[in-house]
Amino acid sequence: MLFDVERTTLAGRPSLTVRGELDLATAPQLAEAVDAQLAAGPEAFLVDLTHTVFMDSSGARELARTARKALAAGVGMHVLAPHRHGAVRLTIDLLELGSAMPIVDSAAAIGFVERDATP
Amino acid sequence: MSDTDAGAVPDEALLRCADEPIAVPGAVQPHGVLLAVTEPDFDVVVASANAAELFGRAVETLDQVLGGVDLGALRAGLAGDLAEVSPLRVQVAGADVDLVLHRADGLLLTEWEPVRGAEQAGAAWHRRLPTVLQRLSATATLDELTAVLARDVRTVTGFDRVMVYRFDAEWNGEVIAEARRDGLEPFLGLRFPASDIPAQARALYATNWMRIIPDAGYRPIPLDPAVTPSTGRPLDLSGAMLRSVSPVHLEYLANMGVVSSMSISLIDDGRLWGLIACHHYAGPHRPSYADRVAAEFLGRTASLLLPTTIVAGEQTGIVEVAHRQAQLAAVVGRTPRELSAALADGDVTALDLLPAGGAAVRLNGQLRLLGTTPPADRVEPLVRALLAAGTPVTDAVSRVVPGGADLAATASGVLAVEVPGGRDDFLAWFRPETIREVTWGGNPYASKTAQTDAGPRLSPRRSFEAWSETVRETAQPWREHEVAAARALAGDLADAALSRAAEDDRLITALQRTLLLEELPKVAGVALAARYLPSADDVVGGDWYDLVPLPGGAVSLVLGDVAGHGLAAAAVTAQLRHALRAHLLRAPGPGAALDGLNEVIAALLPGEMATAVVVQLDPATGEVVVANAGHLPVLHATPSGAEFLADGRGPALGLLDAAGYRETRVRLSGEDRLLLFSDGLVERGRDGLASGLEKLRAAAAAAPAEPQALLDAVLAALDPRRPTTSPCWASPGPDRRAGGRRPV
Repeated sequence: MLFDVERTTLAGRPSLTVRGELDLATAPQLAEAVDAQLAAGPEAFLVDLTHTVFMDSSGARELARTARKALAAGVGMHVLAPHRHGAVRLTIDLLELGSAMPIVDSAAAIGFVERDATP
Repeated sequence: MSDTDAGAVPDEALLRCADEPIAVPGAVQPHGVLLAVTEPDFDVVVASANAAELFGRAVETLDQVLGGVDLGALRAGLAGDLAEVSPLRVQVAGADVDLVLHRADGLLLTEWEPVRGAEQAGAAWHRRLPTVLQRLSATATLDELTAVLARDVRTVTGFDRVMVYRFDAEWNGEVIAEARRDGLEPFLGLRFPASDIPAQARALYATNWMRIIPDAGYRPIPLDPAVTPSTGRPLDLSGAMLRSVSPVHLEYLANMGVVSSMSISLIDDGRLWGLIACHHYAGPHRPSYADRVAAEFLGRTASLLLPTTIVAGEQTGIVEVAHRQAQLAAVVGRTPRELSAALADGDVTALDLLPAGGAAVRLNGQLRLLGTTPPADRVEPLVRALLAAGTPVTDAVSRVVPGGADLAATASGVLAVEVPGGRDDFLAWFRPETIREVTWGGNPYASKTAQTDAGPRLSPRRSFEAWSETVRETAQPWREHEVAAARALAGDLADAALSRAAEDDRLITALQRTLLLEELPKVAGVALAARYLPSADDVVGGDWYDLVPLPGGAVSLVLGDVAGHGLAAAAVTAQLRHALRAHLLRAPGPGAALDGLNEVIAALLPGEMATAVVVQLDPATGEVVVANAGHLPVLHATPSGAEFLADGRGPALGLLDAAGYRETRVRLSGEDRLLLFSDGLVERGRDGLASGLEKLRAAAAAAPAEPQALLDAVLAALDPRRPTTSPCWASPGPDRRAGGRRPV
């Protein structure tokens, strides 16, 4: 399975869709994409792990670093990791990454989407 | 007459052309007279049939046609270099004649060219010769040199068109410089196929610097006698300026509309490098002998300048590449670790080494791409295919690997080098397709043969309409010094890897001593077992385990995992292990110790992340306190089954500045066992982490209680094929028998 980070838009918000295995070897690519994303100066962005098939501790560490960078830049960041997608979500939950960044189960659960949905 | 494609030209015809006796044609051109005489008597042995026209009589000896002064000058000249004497300006029947001398077949060949009828550039030009020479030698590039050459040769000779023509390796010619009369269509950039100038003509051009045909419509003047009595062969005219040329060549010129032509060889290091080709269209044209010599002199001077000019042109690239190579070698020397990052992200990257559109660096199995390259998933197969084909350097990838044709836009050219060291590493550079328009002076694939009485014979081309051919899926060729630089860099990397490996071995040994226990200490009342299965690729991971006896008689069992691998992770691991030890000794419990460790990371190792689980066990009571910082849960195995401890958990270390780790308590009794483990044991199972954990739970529930046997059973069941560093720890509760002996 190939790794790739694609800049997309999800729920009207700039997103980084991470495909493949996020691990020691591929984490630097996520870092690059995050830096590029932050350089564009968004209000907020989303890291979409729906298509991430595996994540090791180095991948998780990169997510933690991303959250720090976003915080420092004053940019909101959400991580999308559906529960049905067991392996990655379980890793996230074991590490309690949710204590350092908002982890959501679906795009609809993101606060800013609610704002869009407000009549 | 039968027309065929070049591919079908009968060999016979080509051979017939090759056999054409161009050095001994038995005839001369009519713009002069040839007399071959004996020395020292000057008896005429062979004469061209037009001798009587010039001299007004048949000539038996030169005494009959030269005056005393001219005869004296001739005799004086014969003692020295004949080229220096020529031309000897003499009077024949009251008219000026240039006498040109050389020796062949044991005779003195005298060629008599009337000055009348020749074009004269004039003395003014010859006075400017030093300036012209200075201009030639001041040129820095081949383009400048050949442009000046074409212009000045045209000035001195007055031809309608003067071209500098360069041969490629296959003897196709390309016009690389041109000076022409206004109104003529440009030939600059045109290519002429090798078949236009047969091999034997090229051989002659390499020794004889200049040919002239003042009137291509001339009638050849035969020599009399046709066979030289002293040799029994026709006279050797290869050095004669009046030599009659091949009828095939005359037909070729006529087809091009050329009435008069002259060519001067350009010779680089003894090899025919190119020609100065002069064409006249308006009518016959004959520059004076002196002007021709001046033009030839320019050609010879340019020939002398060629090697340095060509080398200078190539040198610019060489110096640049050598400079980059040195810079990269320094980077490799400075950064023996993280080479891949250094070559990809540094100030000078692998892509800077040589002119290319993109580059790939595969080191330690990790592929980094720079610039414009094929997609990541295509790079490795492409490079492997080229290496396997034994053609790692190519400017036409699709010819070696047809499946790579769709990558032409980024990788029509690939320069790949293996990095020795048995890791299948490589470096590769990519060049995009350069679509080249090659314009031939006529379709090179349509040469013709004609049927003659003597059999089929090569007929010169009739069409010189420019014919363009688009050459696709090729890139700028890789130059020799570029390939050498790429190989040198790969060698530097291999050397660095070797010395790094040796250094790593030492460091690893030292680090392992600090990270791991040489053997498990004996703890009274508790049966312990541990396994540490480092991965084959990466001996030092971020995993550690520890056993810390506490002042009150309890003992803390620790299993931790730092994110990352290699020496960097190992260094963090060593710090965390020792920091945790210190906190365990001081803190009231495992949760507080982990809080302390978390503060250490936040303060001293920002950006790092680790997980750890601490099991504090009191052998006297079987009381266990567990705190878990993001680590996989502890497995509690009892005779009735095995369950993971779900409580006493908190976030991974380094995630939050202040974590506040909770604790959970268990009391061990009988054959209870606790199993701590790292993710290498479970995470890469076929169905992911959850199924790995379930498999482990089931295996532990069914395993024997004795700790060593339990670990053996668990490892056999899970078979961690992908050996991320994975220590396993079985920490059973107080053994029933051991319990009986435990100190009070």
